[in-house]
Amino acid sequence: MLATLESRTSTALAVQARDVVKIYGRDETTVRALDGATLQIEAGRFTAIMGPSGSGKSTMMHAMAGLDTIDSGQVLIGSTDITALGEKQRTLLRRERIGFVFQSFNLVPALTASENIALPLTLAGKRPDPAWMAELASVLGIEQRLTHRPHELSGGQQQRVAVARALIARPEVVFADEPTGNLDSRHGEALLGILRKAAHEMGQTIVMVTHDPSAASHVDRIVFLADGRVIDELEDPTVPAILSKMAHLEAPSTRIGE
Amino acid sequence: MFRLTIKQVLAQRLRLALTLLAVVLGVTFVTGSLVLTDTSQKLFDDQFRTATEGADFTVRSAAAFDSAMGVEVERDPLPHALLERVAGVDGVATAAPVAKGQGLLEFDGDAIVPAGASLLTTWVPEPLGAFSLRAGTAPNSPDEVVIDVATANAHGITVGDTVTVRAEEARPLTVVGLVGFGSADGLPNSTVAITTLASAQHLLGLGDGFSDIMVVKTDAAGPDFETTLTSALGASYEAASSRDLATASADAAKGSLEYLQIMLLALAAASLLIGAFLIANTFSIVITQRTRELAVLRAAGATSAQLLRSVLGEALLVGITASVAGVGLGIAAALGLRQVVGAFGVPLPDGDVSVTPRTIAISLVIGIVVTLVSALAPARRAASVSPIAAMRDNTAGGASLGRARTAGGAITAVAGVAAVVTVVAGAPVALLGLGAVLTIVGLTLLGPVIMPPLARVVGRPLHVLGVPGQLAAESAARAPRRTASTTMALALGLTLIMFVTIVASSVKDSIASTYKEVISADYVVESARGEMLGGLPPMVHHHLSQLDEVAVASRLQYGHWRYGTSVRALTAIDPDTIGEVASVDMVKGALADVAAGGVVVSEQVADDLGLDVGDEIPMTFARTGEQQMEIVGLIDDQDAQALSTDYLISLGTYAKVYTETMDASVFLRTAPGVSAAEAHSAITNALADFPTAEVRDQAAAISGRTMAVDQILGLVTVLLMLALTIALLGITNTLALSVIERTREIGLLRSVGMVRSQLRALVQAEAVLVAVLAVILGTALGTGFGVATVVALGQSGPLSLNLPISQLLLLMALTAAAGLVAGILPARRASNLNELAAIAQG
Repeated sequence: MLATLESRTSTALAVQARDVVKIYGRDETTVRALDGATLQIEAGRFTAIMGPSGSGKSTMMHAMAGLDTIDSGQVLIGSTDITALGEKQRTLLRRERIGFVFQSFNLVPALTASENIALPLTLAGKRPDPAWMAELASVLGIEQRLTHRPHELSGGQQQRVAVARALIARPEVVFADEPTGNLDSRHGEALLGILRKAAHEMGQTIVMVTHDPSAASHVDRIVFLADGRVIDELEDPTVPAILSKMAHLEAPSTRIGE
Repeated sequence: MFRLTIKQVLAQRLRLALTLLAVVLGVTFVTGSLVLTDTSQKLFDDQFRTATEGADFTVRSAAAFDSAMGVEVERDPLPHALLERVAGVDGVATAAPVAKGQGLLEFDGDAIVPAGASLLTTWVPEPLGAFSLRAGTAPNSPDEVVIDVATANAHGITVGDTVTVRAEEARPLTVVGLVGFGSADGLPNSTVAITTLASAQHLLGLGDGFSDIMVVKTDAAGPDFETTLTSALGASYEAASSRDLATASADAAKGSLEYLQIMLLALAAASLLIGAFLIANTFSIVITQRTRELAVLRAAGATSAQLLRSVLGEALLVGITASVAGVGLGIAAALGLRQVVGAFGVPLPDGDVSVTPRTIAISLVIGIVVTLVSALAPARRAASVSPIAAMRDNTAGGASLGRARTAGGAITAVAGVAAVVTVVAGAPVALLGLGAVLTIVGLTLLGPVIMPPLARVVGRPLHVLGVPGQLAAESAARAPRRTASTTMALALGLTLIMFVTIVASSVKDSIASTYKEVISADYVVESARGEMLGGLPPMVHHHLSQLDEVAVASRLQYGHWRYGTSVRALTAIDPDTIGEVASVDMVKGALADVAAGGVVVSEQVADDLGLDVGDEIPMTFARTGEQQMEIVGLIDDQDAQALSTDYLISLGTYAKVYTETMDASVFLRTAPGVSAAEAHSAITNALADFPTAEVRDQAAAISGRTMAVDQILGLVTVLLMLALTIALLGITNTLALSVIERTREIGLLRSVGMVRSQLRALVQAEAVLVAVLAVILGTALGTGFGVATVVALGQSGPLSLNLPISQLLLLMALTAAAGLVAGILPARRASNLNELAAIAQG
């Protein structure tokens, strides 16, 4: 059934980042979080961005998702150059074309699960398609939880609601920032399975930032970052392959935060 | 990370600033009130000390008491022969006779009518006299006068000009000099005219008598000089030492300050109470935000007591800083407060502010104590944070509300409402205050329980705004403590304003309707200045009674007397004509019976004193001492109010016990067949020589009588608006803090596509919601207390309820709209939050 849904050609590019530079701080305390990072995200695939602490992977995701501005370079979502967009246009773009899953605090506590899922649409003054909502709920196994508020849900359920929210507007790309970081391994595996299914069966482009090799082993392709640059990548990764790549990457520099 | 740090520091500073602000404003109010009243008292003291410091003693007619209701009593003039007797007393170096009284100044055909007195007195050279020449010469001949510099400057009068001085007699005089009073240019709110003794005697109609004699003793005079002087004078006259005199005069003037001070301090207390809510609120939010930090401290080994001390220490720091700032601001604000008070008809003397150590000490202690007490509950909550809280992710969740608190709140509130209801049902009015306090305390305790459902119901219409509206209502409902205390602070301010408005409006309405029912006169002539005892020269009545257009001219006089130690007022009426201008309901006897020398009292007074017709009531008059007056009738309470006092005597009796010649009012009935226009112009013409006399029809007479209520209402409203402003700042404060608290939620909303305008709408909607909740609560409480008070008072006195609906609606609308304004800043703050920083936090 899912296969009948929209599918994209695997060669199309969903996101392109070219020579992205992001500098934090001023004067002597500047940190080049991104230092000329270039990468492409193919549509319909499940891609992971990995790198040691301080490598700039989260910054990269924020830049590609239009959450933050960059100091130089270019980011395209589809064919839209988001670096040329104003703050409000970027917000509208996120609302309509991008989905998010964060590590924690994914849901608005005051809203029920279904209200949380519909949030990107209701913010735009639209109503969710009930059939699509029902299907997402059933695929994610949260049909019985739709009227509950976040504090009544388990961590795994909360993350699945967040995934539904990310998918509800049928975005061009979903960004997931350590989505399994707060889950135990069983719930983590399940969530990754769902994301993988969304990519492969629904053709949903998904970009996941993670530092966990076992989580990353679920994806189609891994892009490795170190010191703000893309330095390597890995197709159809396995845990041993990831671990061996990571061993080469451990950043010599120790930076505070990321 | 760096940006985040900077933002957190900024957030801390904002938080700190807003907490400080609540304390600062309250302390400013307290300090301002104290400084203003201190300053006014000191200025009065200085003024009267200057007035008497030249002489050692002042000889004057004896009186049973010196002043009543802020007015010095009238005294009989001294006979000419007394001067020689005084001068002959052993040890008297100088005896200077003075004639003084009220003398209106006219310049260029216009009367100069100051808010205070128009003083006419006798020139006595310095150092005996209090006035010093600033320009020109002293008055030497009967047609010369000197006036004070302040009046001269204000009206462009220069030496050489001619002014008319009008007292019992009027006479044009040449200004030959200008005087100052000590270092001041004149007396506050007064005009001063000084002539020769003969001229003053003539103008004041004293013949060859004096008002008083100033005495300077010789250096050789012994310590028993006062005794010698007093025994030489006999019982009819007294010699007052200048120091006593200054004190007595200042006390009389300060009597009127007392009620102002009480009122200002009550309002300051109200604003501090509102401030206390805000301080408690701010601290409690700050504690919630710092739960994790506190838990880490606990885990690292900090004891509960240490945490309690650390929070209270922070409160102490805030309290000290804010109180110091508040004292500084309050001193500056005192002058502004004087302007405000002056604008509402309470003239206070001008001059430098005086700041006493007592004021500073009281203000500091109050500010610090209020801050500490307000921070106590949050501090205890901080101390009870468990180390495990450090591990929990979500710290925002609603703290559990104690069942004891809820039960206690419910019981207290029910008891309070019950007390208010029993008062309405007839219980003593004194219970009302207790009932009001209990209700408010109960509701404050219950607030966190009743707020969530109330916020959801009232917030329902916000859902038309879509997600932002829905979230605003939920946000208010999900922070019960925060919403409750913000709402209560604003509701309290509104309650007070509404209460005062309803009571004042009912009082005014009752005055008006009583007046309309009782007074049938077509016109009433009164002094435009509103002097305590009236202020119409007797010639006014004389001229009016001569008019063909006037059928009846009936005059009223007021006087003060003492019953035991309490000062009371009486009204003297003309028993022959009062029936023609007023229809008075008597419970017993007839009003005309006062002609025989008795007194008619109101039914209420008779009840209170346990007296009836035929009994005697002891009345002490300043001039004649205690006298037993027979009660000859009882008058209906409302009708007594229309004649201004509860005690009525005849003009004949009045003349025997008072020397006062001024009339309070002249009631007029026009002759048959005379049109209103004809009558009005005839009366106006007859009053041409009496610039302070004003002819009023019924409506104007009523507004003259309700003016005092209007002034007090105006003053109280303006000052309560300040308290309300503090409460509105509370909305700003709590919302700003709540924005910081909800940084991650805002970040999430922003990242999934909430645009800035939607976020602003969310915060603004919550601000308005809180304001509307306060409007609902404040209106319920204010109207409830106001109505109960009026109904309760109406059972024992002439007062009936009048709800000023349009005024109340305006207040409600203004408060709700102010909520919108209060939300602007936090809304902008929320929309300027960087979404990345918001997500990255945590």
